[in-house]
Amino acid sequence: MAVSVDPIHQFELQPLVSLGHIGNQQIAFTQSALYMFAAVGVIALLTIVATSGRSVVPGRLQALAETLYEFIADTVHQATGADGKRFLPLVFSLFMFVLVLNLFGMIPYAFAVTSHLIVTFGLALIVILTVVIYGVAKHGTHFLGVFVPSGVPKPLLLIMVPIEIVSFLSRPISLSVRLFANVLAGHIALKIFAFFVVQLLVAGAWGVLSPLPLALTVALTALEFLVAALQAYVFATLTAVYLADALHPGH
Amino acid sequence: MSGDPSGTGSGPGGPPDDGDLSARLKRLETQLEGRRPKAAPAPARAGTPGGSAQLGQAMRLSTEFIAGVIAGGILGYLFDHLFGTKPWGMIVLLMLGFITGIYNVMRVSGFSGQKAEKDRREGS
Repeated sequence: MAVSVDPIHQFELQPLVSLGHIGNQQIAFTQSALYMFAAVGVIALLTIVATSGRSVVPGRLQALAETLYEFIADTVHQATGADGKRFLPLVFSLFMFVLVLNLFGMIPYAFAVTSHLIVTFGLALIVILTVVIYGVAKHGTHFLGVFVPSGVPKPLLLIMVPIEIVSFLSRPISLSVRLFANVLAGHIALKIFAFFVVQLLVAGAWGVLSPLPLALTVALTALEFLVAALQAYVFATLTAVYLADALHPGH
Repeated sequence: MSGDPSGTGSGPGGPPDDGDLSARLKRLETQLEGRRPKAAPAPARAGTPGGSAQLGQAMRLSTEFIAGVIAGGILGYLFDHLFGTKPWGMIVLLMLGFITGIYNVMRVSGFSGQKAEKDRREGS
């Protein structure tokens, strides 16, 4: 009966190697950083090594890499048009990074890096800063046309422009919060439902009911795999849509 | 290959074959361009990618709204902090954030901003 499991415990950072202190803050190489390096390693393995054969008839891994690449290339092409090609490496890297980290999080006992808001917000900042810096460099003040919706009568602009500005500022928030909240909520739900099984089994006759949360846990696991892939896809799509603003401001 | 009938007329091998090749390349290019899914995503986007694209859109709805409110709240806090207008910046900007959240949701769900997004796509 004394089993009490903290569903948040799985998200705690554990320093592996301490690199020293800045003020009172320990700077450490955590398991989160280790997972990120592992994700980069897996992606490099998939995209560089698996395609190094360059066979005309691709093997399994090469086919997987090519499918993912084509998928993202199509998404970027649809959202940004022909001149959006230059952003393909950025979008593809972000997509693969988020996808692999999400899937790592689904391995039992593994740590879900994307369940930390600071990680996803960092990724979203990369996107938004790219949009702003590229947009200003390419279009100068014309980039401010992003804030002026087309086909709106002049007096309404007085209201619409502040709304568009707040809307623009809410983009990195929505981009990061969506990914973080989905992964975090999914993992907590999984943990709690899995714990119900244990609790029911311990509680004597109630153990008869334990298959119910077990079935739910299995279903939730499947759902979480879907969410993991879907969130990576949504992240990539929205990145492409926002980058389209940098390419063609003043829609 | 198929360049034989026209190639014999003008001379030995080289130039006509070259022209033939470039013509074929151009034809191939136009064919490829025709097959590429480019500027007609409006009906295709709603239908063919099926579940994943629509599920993705559904996922966007909730956070778009929350993000608008949060952005308004942060802006209001910063405004008050900078200019010392304690409650007013927060009140006004939080309401503006609320409006923005609703506007975001309307745009994502294609309630109002469908036109703007389609314009951008066609313009590109």
